Amino acid sequence: MNLADVMDAIGDRLDTIPDLRVHRHPPGKVTPPAAIVSFPESYDFDATYGRGMDTMVLPVVMVEGKPTDRSGRDRLAEYVNGSGARSFKAVLESGTYTAFDSIRVAGAEFDVVRIGNIDYMAALFTVEIAGQGSA
Amino acid sequence: MFIHGKGTFISLNAVNLSTFTDASELERNADKHDVTTYGKDDHVYQGGLGDGKASMSGTYDNGVAGPRATIEPLVGTVVTLIRRPEGTGSGKPQDSVSVLVEKYVETNPVAGMVAWSAELQPSDAVNSTPQA
Repeated sequence: MNLADVMDAIGDRLDTIPDLRVHRHPPGKVTPPAAIVSFPESYDFDATYGRGMDTMVLPVVMVEGKPTDRSGRDRLAEYVNGSGARSFKAVLESGTYTAFDSIRVAGAEFDVVRIGNIDYMAALFTVEIAGQGSA
Repeated sequence: MFIHGKGTFISLNAVNLSTFTDASELERNADKHDVTTYGKDDHVYQGGLGDGKASMSGTYDNGVAGPRATIEPLVGTVVTLIRRPEGTGSGKPQDSVSVLVEKYVETNPVAGMVAWSAELQPSDAVNSTPQA
């Protein structure tokens, strides 16, 4: 797997969600609502013999709305829900990819992030990727 | 010198399954015969026929040379297993043996990759001539 290609592929797929700013790498500036494909938490080689399979865990951050904003909560929920047109899990797992073989959106955690001196709600998705080791 | 397992080569019926495999075993053992006689204070043993068992397992792949396409049709047949514990290279060890493919299993954990495993019964002697 090529890490840059994997991050681009995930970003490209998220870009099919309307009205969502997608960053395929950590940006210098974020304007919510935005999805950020970040660097892997881990990139593990040699899951099988002979450089057959590598795996990685990619964080994808969704920033949307103020923590005290009910409409922001409702919008963020659409991205976090397990199904629906804006569901990260549904959209990412239904994609067709050449940069890797397998994708699973394993879960999401929530946090408040400060951007430009403003607090935003963020969902941190854990995305499990598996692909060819030598290709 | 310690050897890492990641370079292990394994093939079944001349199909290289290394890139789908993450664990393999080839056990060799022998029957034992108790030949203890009267007057002895300890058992006395003599070796008998050689035997063994083999297994391999890994991550499922749906390709035409993947584990399902390769191994499932072989269940119940005797084919050649080749295992190179230090990988491929001139002078490196290799075990080649006929095996009866006894079992092919697919396992689908809800939160993980589809996995497969196979159990193999070695039949006749193991040829341990190093690789040419």
